[in-house]
Amino acid sequence: MPLVDIDLIIGGPQGGGIDSAAQIIIRAFSIAGYEAYGIREYYSNIKGRHSYFHVRVRDAPVRSLRYPVDLLVCLDSESPFVHMEDVSEKSVILYDEDLMNTKIEQVLTMEPETKKHVMDKLGREGFETTLAGAVRFMEKKGAKPYPVSFRNLVVEALGPNKPPARYANTLGASIAMALMGLPPELTLKGIESVFGKKQEVLEDNEKIVKVGYALVKRQNKINVKELPIKPARERYILTGNEAVAIGKVVGGLKVQTYYPITPAADESFFLEGHDFFEAETGDEVDKENQVLKNAGVVVVQAEDEIAAIAMAISGAMTGARTSTGTSGPGFSLMSEALGYAGINEVPLVVSLYQRGGPSTGLPTRNSQADLLFAINAGHGEFVKIVYSSGDVPEALEDAVKVFNYAEKFQTPVIHILDKNLANSFFVIDEVDYSKIKIERWKKAENEERVERFKFVEDGVSPMAFFGKNIIWLTGDEHSELGHITEDPETRDAMMTKRMTKALTILREIPEEEQVQLIGNPNADITFLSWGSNKGVILSVIEQLKAEGISANLVYMKLMNPFPSELVSRYLSNAKLIVDLENNYTGQLASLVRQNCGVKIENFILKYNGRHITDDEVYYGIKRILGKNEKRVVMIGGA
Amino acid sequence: MAHNFRTDLWVDWCPGCGDFGILAALQQSMVELNKKPEDFVVLSGIGCSAKTPHYIDAPGMHTLHGRVIPFATGVKLANPNLTVIADGGDGDLLSIGAGHFVAAGRRNIDMTIIIHNNGVYGLTKGQASPTMPRGTKTKGLQRPNIMDSLNPVALALSVGYTFVGRAFSFDVKQTKELILKAIKHKGTSVIDLLQPCPTYNDINTKEWYEKRVYYLDKDPSWDPVVREATSEASEEKFIQAIKKSLEWGDKIPLGVIYQNDFVPSYEARIAEHITNYFNVPPADSPIVNAKGEPIARMGKIFADRLIRR
Repeated sequence: MPLVDIDLIIGGPQGGGIDSAAQIIIRAFSIAGYEAYGIREYYSNIKGRHSYFHVRVRDAPVRSLRYPVDLLVCLDSESPFVHMEDVSEKSVILYDEDLMNTKIEQVLTMEPETKKHVMDKLGREGFETTLAGAVRFMEKKGAKPYPVSFRNLVVEALGPNKPPARYANTLGASIAMALMGLPPELTLKGIESVFGKKQEVLEDNEKIVKVGYALVKRQNKINVKELPIKPARERYILTGNEAVAIGKVVGGLKVQTYYPITPAADESFFLEGHDFFEAETGDEVDKENQVLKNAGVVVVQAEDEIAAIAMAISGAMTGARTSTGTSGPGFSLMSEALGYAGINEVPLVVSLYQRGGPSTGLPTRNSQADLLFAINAGHGEFVKIVYSSGDVPEALEDAVKVFNYAEKFQTPVIHILDKNLANSFFVIDEVDYSKIKIERWKKAENEERVERFKFVEDGVSPMAFFGKNIIWLTGDEHSELGHITEDPETRDAMMTKRMTKALTILREIPEEEQVQLIGNPNADITFLSWGSNKGVILSVIEQLKAEGISANLVYMKLMNPFPSELVSRYLSNAKLIVDLENNYTGQLASLVRQNCGVKIENFILKYNGRHITDDEVYYGIKRILGKNEKRVVMIGGA
Repeated sequence: MAHNFRTDLWVDWCPGCGDFGILAALQQSMVELNKKPEDFVVLSGIGCSAKTPHYIDAPGMHTLHGRVIPFATGVKLANPNLTVIADGGDGDLLSIGAGHFVAAGRRNIDMTIIIHNNGVYGLTKGQASPTMPRGTKTKGLQRPNIMDSLNPVALALSVGYTFVGRAFSFDVKQTKELILKAIKHKGTSVIDLLQPCPTYNDINTKEWYEKRVYYLDKDPSWDPVVREATSEASEEKFIQAIKKSLEWGDKIPLGVIYQNDFVPSYEARIAEHITNYFNVPPADSPIVNAKGEPIARMGKIFADRLIRR
């Protein structure tokens, strides 16, 4: 068991520096040699609505989150109300005592539905519907209140002329760090890492840190054990969006197109900030980098998602590694062009970040409900690869792999991700370049005129491009040369050629890149899942193991073409299969039934848009085992 | 023998179709430009005009309805050194693809857009296109058209196109001359190409046009080119062009209507930032070393995400 394993939530108004506060905590712990992981939850809103960061720090690898949290840091009056179910007897609640008498009616940022649910809960327990009532509700669960006056502390640190609201986030982070026992110099390093070395900012924050730590020492209400500082190496802090962007650049991305949409656009914004390569000279690698000098990635904000995918398709057919990134509504617009990429066998990469649907749905919340849509998007029949990643390091490596697949098999690839992954923070090491291979197409002989769609056994004709060869592309059915044809025999042969690629893909992609059986093959419970659930499931498997219950995970990566034989093999030994997904219908389970003929009877599902946590999966399993429930719906998260 | 840019496919347009003249003018321009066929990409949307690339012996891309502009844009983004020509119908470019038509004016990518303007959707049996005036009753329509037409020249001018011209497809020589000027212009050029549809538009026929069209450059005082890099100079020519765009009916002007060479192309704007963009275009930029490893390194490009102790 790890000695240090702390979950905390820091909540406050959107635009109130919640991100920075969480970043300070994650970076400070990372600098101190600990592992950290976090997810951001937020409304579709620029300023004011309640957002929060759920962070876990550990002295061992971490990839999942748990309720109840050890520390709840409330930077606004809404936090105590909406997070009052997230604490237990182990929790400390840090909040602003100046807001103690706030009535729930006065919390304007809160949605009326949420207010009603909170008021009902408070009423049932006999508490008043004020912030004080919410704190008492949590005290009844055994949590320890930790009231402080944010205003007084900021004045104490910086005098009366600085706006307290501006420093609430660093003050909150500082008190939290003091309560967790991280030495103040590390907190300062975390602040410096987030805000840079700007003198005035650093001086102010140094005073804030000092006051925060002094308060915790002076009050001496919580028994704080100072955490040891451990040897640490230089590491990267990345979100899922950033990991995909970096993977693409390492993989040779040259053109990225996009239309702004949450939660995909952060990937393209990040690329825009890193689109110019100013390579230095010197060692072996830099000699190679010389060819990149003053080159970069052309990032284009298109007029809509249709334009974004159209540009990406023709960019790819001009020989550059090209991709686009989007989310459900944008992907819906892209589906016609996806078919064009299918019939023209274009090596196109689309990064699809799922969010809550249908329609605008829950635009900033998590979902895995676009799996079947991604597989079936585009009319007619064509082979596309749908490839899933589950965490930040995997997303980075997969971003390279999906380019390889796209080019090797000359087919569009949907890299399917989700909001949880996009907005989760991981601390990771530099890529091991010897393990990342770039594989490209089989190119046509260097002749002027090329049969771009030449009939070949494995369906993958030699590649040819604009700018290099005379080729024709058309969305109509076409001849080997690429001209329109409605000849029935050519149609049959072309369909066969294109569809044969499904078999080629399943034959050539290594098994472990398609599906992984993680854990004891003879386990009592087999989880079937995909995407960002991976971390939580692996944590729960460890937890169950400690109780003597063995469980494993059939972890899917290649969602289309479906690796039926492999999945059938892995499921053939399973005693109890539990499908776990962030959707209503269990879409992966339906794919398994369709492709493997295996009917899955047990489900743990979540579709409220909030991140899944260890505890709810753990209790889900208990309900399936103990109460014989078939369908457990997880409802956690504010 | 010089490459004549003709394929051996049977051209399946209706006899008398205005598209024949556009195809011939385009092929002749490509010959005169004296480039290798691989230096061109001819793209099209959907409809009768969209078959054009198949009839030209140069790289071609027959794309989706309305989307020829973004597809053409993608080729240029990946390789700014190619000569790109985008053919579209009036419905293609000005109805389903109108958003892209507007965005292209703002970008000013160095490419040429040809509007095959015949007032109808031919391949689906003659419905009214955005350039057919209200009240027009062609033989293909059940009732007179109840939507107003738009003015492609005025639209192009108002959204920033830096070269706007008009030609009549039955005058192949003039059409070719205008296409050559358009291609040589460094920025997005658009040609409103009047192209009778003999099957579905019995109003705007070859004869109808022949009675009305006249050549702007016959008037020695006509100067559509912005001569100075000042806002006054471009405003003067812009106003002149907008006025000219309103001439329709008894007299229809042909030729260059507006040309401004002082607006930097989108590619030039990229190259201000990515300075090696033209020398090492994305399409030619190496990505892998001899060992099969990537050559772009995370530590060099993304050092700002590093947490230092």
